Amino acid sequence: MQGDRRLGSPKKGLTNAHHAGGLGYLFGMAFATLVLFGGLPVAHTAEPAPDVPVLVPITGFLAAEGSSQRNGALLALQNPPAGVHPRFAVTDTGTSPEGAVNALERALSDGEVTVVVASMLGTQMLAMLPIAQAQKVPLITMSGTADITRKGNPYIFRFFPADSVVKGAQVKYAIEAHHIQKPAVIYQTTAYGQSGHAEILTALAAAGIKPVYEDALDVGVKDMRPVIAKAVASGADSLLLQLHGGPTALFLKAVAAMDVHLPIVAGSGLSQPATVALLEPAELKGVCGETGSSPISGETPAARDFLARYRDAFHTDPDGFALGQYDATMMALEAVAKGATSAEAVTKALATGSYQGVAMTYKSNGHGDMAHSAVIVCFDGTSRVPAVVRHYDFPISP
Amino acid sequence: MRRWVAHGGVALPLAVAACAYGVFVLPHASDYALRVLTVAGVYALLALGYGFIFGQAGALSLAQGTFMGVGAYVSGILAVRYGVAFDAALPVSVGLPVLLALLVAIPVLRLQTHYFALATLLIGQVVLLVATQWESVTGGANGIGGVPPLSLLGHPIEGRLPQLLLVWALVAAGAVLAWRIVSGRLGDAFALTRLHPVAARAIGIDTGSLRLAAFLLSAGFAGLAGSLYVHAIGVLSPDVLGFPVMITCLTIAVVGSRLRVAGAIAGAVVIIELPEWARFLRDDYLLAFGCILLLVVVALPGGLVETAERLLGWVGSRAVPSVMAGRVPAIFAPADEARMAGTRPAMTEGVGPFIAARAGDADLLTLVGVSRRFGGVLALDDVALTVRSGAVLGLIGPNGSGKTTLLNVVTGIFPADAGRVRLGGRDIAGRAPHAIARLGVARTFQTAALAAELSALDNVAVARGAARLGVGSALRAGRRDRAVVRGEAMALLERMGAGAYAAEAAGTLPPGIARLVEIARALATEPRLLLLDEPAAGLNETEQADLGRRLRGIAEDGVGLLVIEHNMPFLVPLADRMVCLDQGRVIAEGTPAAVQSDPRVIEAYLGTPPP
Repeated sequence: MQGDRRLGSPKKGLTNAHHAGGLGYLFGMAFATLVLFGGLPVAHTAEPAPDVPVLVPITGFLAAEGSSQRNGALLALQNPPAGVHPRFAVTDTGTSPEGAVNALERALSDGEVTVVVASMLGTQMLAMLPIAQAQKVPLITMSGTADITRKGNPYIFRFFPADSVVKGAQVKYAIEAHHIQKPAVIYQTTAYGQSGHAEILTALAAAGIKPVYEDALDVGVKDMRPVIAKAVASGADSLLLQLHGGPTALFLKAVAAMDVHLPIVAGSGLSQPATVALLEPAELKGVCGETGSSPISGETPAARDFLARYRDAFHTDPDGFALGQYDATMMALEAVAKGATSAEAVTKALATGSYQGVAMTYKSNGHGDMAHSAVIVCFDGTSRVPAVVRHYDFPISP
Repeated sequence: MRRWVAHGGVALPLAVAACAYGVFVLPHASDYALRVLTVAGVYALLALGYGFIFGQAGALSLAQGTFMGVGAYVSGILAVRYGVAFDAALPVSVGLPVLLALLVAIPVLRLQTHYFALATLLIGQVVLLVATQWESVTGGANGIGGVPPLSLLGHPIEGRLPQLLLVWALVAAGAVLAWRIVSGRLGDAFALTRLHPVAARAIGIDTGSLRLAAFLLSAGFAGLAGSLYVHAIGVLSPDVLGFPVMITCLTIAVVGSRLRVAGAIAGAVVIIELPEWARFLRDDYLLAFGCILLLVVVALPGGLVETAERLLGWVGSRAVPSVMAGRVPAIFAPADEARMAGTRPAMTEGVGPFIAARAGDADLLTLVGVSRRFGGVLALDDVALTVRSGAVLGLIGPNGSGKTTLLNVVTGIFPADAGRVRLGGRDIAGRAPHAIARLGVARTFQTAALAAELSALDNVAVARGAARLGVGSALRAGRRDRAVVRGEAMALLERMGAGAYAAEAAGTLPPGIARLVEIARALATEPRLLLLDEPAAGLNETEQADLGRRLRGIAEDGVGLLVIEHNMPFLVPLADRMVCLDQGRVIAEGTPAAVQSDPRVIEAYLGTPPP
């Protein structure tokens, strides 16, 4: 929709919309109605520029993660490679498949889309995949759901390590660092939780380990003490978590309050600054977690530069999703800078090329899995900034 | 224009707008616009079904989204795992939600108000848990991708426009079906059941069956909507079972107008399209959406369609001087309607064309040793009395003496704790109110229990053959059903002297007239026994005398009358015998003169005289 199109910062457009006031809203709505029902042609700028709609969940239970994803994409789109002038609009997909396909169809109906920054929610990706394939438009996403790159769809590119990678790293670290033999696995009843749980079990089985306790928690569960008590009572020697950010914080608070001292290796929910902000440093002492990258740890000059620019732009700390989406978007824009101006050309570049991003080197395994590294971060109990304690690079294999 | 304005309907303008949109806009619309409109069609079907249970039956079910989800899961799983096409799977994807509704209805449908809402909500949570935990079948929280597009007779329906046309063709079919079910007397029966369930049972309507039918219909529509949804979206996920779907459905019903078929469609289009229209507001679009909804709910409490009808009615009233609220057409004229029905009987006073044959002076109603207790209060204590065919028994007593309780026991609203209640030699104690009504027992209430939104005429008409009212008969008869009985109802209204008010909405009737309409409704059930609870209240002396003559005429046709009344000047000339109750016990029985002069009766009313 033309009303959403802009070059540069989305904040500019947002401010203008606010200043327009109620009458502006009415005119805007009337125009939007005309476009929706009439299918009016959308005016394009004369300057060659990739069209990169950002379709992410910024409301609902994945709002925090989706906002990180959006911010990472925006940072790249606002600071593109020289000579590239991306046009972009952010659309909230909510958390339903319906919201995602509506957003994608809407973006596609607006003009010739070059590449889509697509939702990190697995069920939304599953719904968008057929449309992307039919329209031959590449999707770059941070979704960890295993299935999305197992559908034989050549237009999906995942820049966050797949669950098989990060869960493999999580289990491997727990074994190497804590010599676990009787883990308790606590996971969420969401797609994120169930997908990760399956991969944790696979990785444990590969090491000949069987969990002594497993429990699935609804995201609405606030009191974690019963499940912790049951895990301890089961004789577990460690806790492997696959929980979203908020529940991870609640879990760790309860562990600290119950004075439980089992080794904890958490999922990527732990590495989000919003999660850590809910905890006192002491409550984090000794806790580790997996993630694709930890930009807040500032391991390299490139990561420190990203961290500074991100903080400057969004006044908050980035997480692995933000950095991953930044790298993904930059890889697509670099491809455009090198002449891949069509969706088909960008697809080919993503499928065959290699890109050295801030977090890692990205290269497709032939199915669209671009990220093959994971890190383990741990907290020392004195700070909310974790240290990267282990890197795991997995072979690029189909 | 005059006719549709008079009907107060917006169906025609909506249909014209839809046709114009289809011809001029759809061929040029983007895939995005077509998809959103397709989803709106799915929700329209969902809301059409919800109109039965939430609108017509007036029960706040929170399981409609669950039924949609079940339909989606059945169709999606059959398609992905077993290759069953959309249309081939329909019997199961629609049938399973209906079966689930049937199972759920057994324990849940008896519940009222918020208990019913809570129970249906919990059912949704159970189904959601099954869907997320039974990973091997449902795909768990990840769901199942790759659901094929809609298909018909083995041919996949590719492309947005054909899919949209299929969905909206089903919406049109569903709307016609829903309209046919609720536009006739079954709709009137739903209205009475919704507003006065006790009164509905008292004229022989099996309100439990009606609620069950509404619940099953709603589940069937939801199953179809779910099946369409999963094939249109292409992915199966627990989101379809989530509470937001139910909230959307409820919002559509409220915003559109829950009692109107057109309301479900208009509401779905507005609610599904509105957030998309507001997308240009970026981060504020949900806030704007919420504000608009709040504005609609507060400013237009009847919903969009009812508001539009009122506006059209206001415009129409300038052209059509007749004032007509409720559901009777403004252009309705009793004579025309009767001619249309061709069944209008002669309206001679004293002749009861719909009243059971005379049965002589036989004992019609016999109560022996009837007792009823409410906690520590003995409301009826060993009551014995007899009502004879063709005779009027007056029942008097101070307030709280148990008179209305006795009527409630006879009509089955309260079971007797002890004693026997016999009608024409048959024991009726313990039977359901509608079953007792079907045996020939009719009643009125202390406060007239009429469906305010129906006309006086339709309040009477609904009682004609109420036992035969059902979805099947409604589908066969449609609005013809109502037309046929209106002539008969008109005769009964005129017999009670309320014919002039036939076209008035019952909610606007003066109290005295409302009582006459209620008696006419009771007569419409062809009763053998008529129980009247203070029928003269609200009437002036002339009207009381007139009512007395009419009641006497009814008795002369062989009907037994039991009349509760405090108004002695009205009751004494009318009653053949009188019974006086005090503190639940019969303290006097005999001729009116004897009972009036009985010292125990005088004491009961006036208290013990000072020594």
